[in-house]
Amino acid sequence: MSPAPRRLRPEAVRRLLVDTDGWLSCDDCFAMVDEYVDRLVAGEPDPIPGMAGHFRGCPACAEEAATLAILAAENPHRP
Amino acid sequence: MTTVGGRPAPAPTAAAPVDWVAALSMPGPEQERAIRELHGLLVYAARRQVHRMGGGPGRHGGAVADELANQAADEALVAILGKLHTFEGRSRFTTWAYKFAVLHAANAVRAAAWRGREIQLEGLELVADRSPEPGQYAEAAALADTVRGLLETELSPYQRRVVIALLVDEVPIDVLADRLGTNRNALYKTLHDARSKLRRRLDALGYLAAATGDLP
Repeated sequence: MSPAPRRLRPEAVRRLLVDTDGWLSCDDCFAMVDEYVDRLVAGEPDPIPGMAGHFRGCPACAEEAATLAILAAENPHRP
Repeated sequence: MTTVGGRPAPAPTAAAPVDWVAALSMPGPEQERAIRELHGLLVYAARRQVHRMGGGPGRHGGAVADELANQAADEALVAILGKLHTFEGRSRFTTWAYKFAVLHAANAVRAAAWRGREIQLEGLELVADRSPEPGQYAEAAALADTVRGLLETELSPYQRRVVIALLVDEVPIDVLADRLGTNRNALYKTLHDARSKLRRRLDALGYLAAATGDLP
């Protein structure tokens, strides 16, 4: 028996059509996220072009970067 | 004071090296101290990630959450020691190290949440949702219908399978990568290409505002 059709909800349409131009891969993101976060914590609004777009398109990378930013901000003087 | 699961964030101790790479590189008592210190930080970072993802007592019991975090910290420590020579100093060492703990912990929580759950990768029939927000009914319904059609006509079967699993069924990307025998990077590239193709077609059909890329 085939499964029931899925509903294509507006939030899925929005997720699908997110503009992620300015290509960065998840590997690129992982390589630079520590620098991105430290510069963000230091007050730079958009430290590395392309990262914000990648976070819009990749919730896993965005979720991990958010935790990293919290950790970096907790103790900004730790080497 | 910041706490995770009732435990305070570890403060820098006298044992914390100023030059982590040097301390971790040379065998001896200083290296052992540095490894212990680093492991403590990695456990804290991993716990932070587990708790942020709802891995507290409500979802995973405290002991399970601790086990996930400790295992993630162990895996992160191995990865860090293996990649020490690649640290270029573009961030603080601790931020660089934390990212490994966070990645391993996040993957562990996602894998635990989806363990034993079926992921439907065949029979991917879609129907456009007919209950969008009030006031946007006609436009949103037309867009959903068009997107549903384009998913069938514009994407390859593999792209369609990946898009539906990630964005409609909300399967975490690492979980899907594991089931398909690939990795996050490759799946994200598939998703990116699919998005670009759909956005180009929708733009040609007049659905995307040219100036801003906003959806109607």
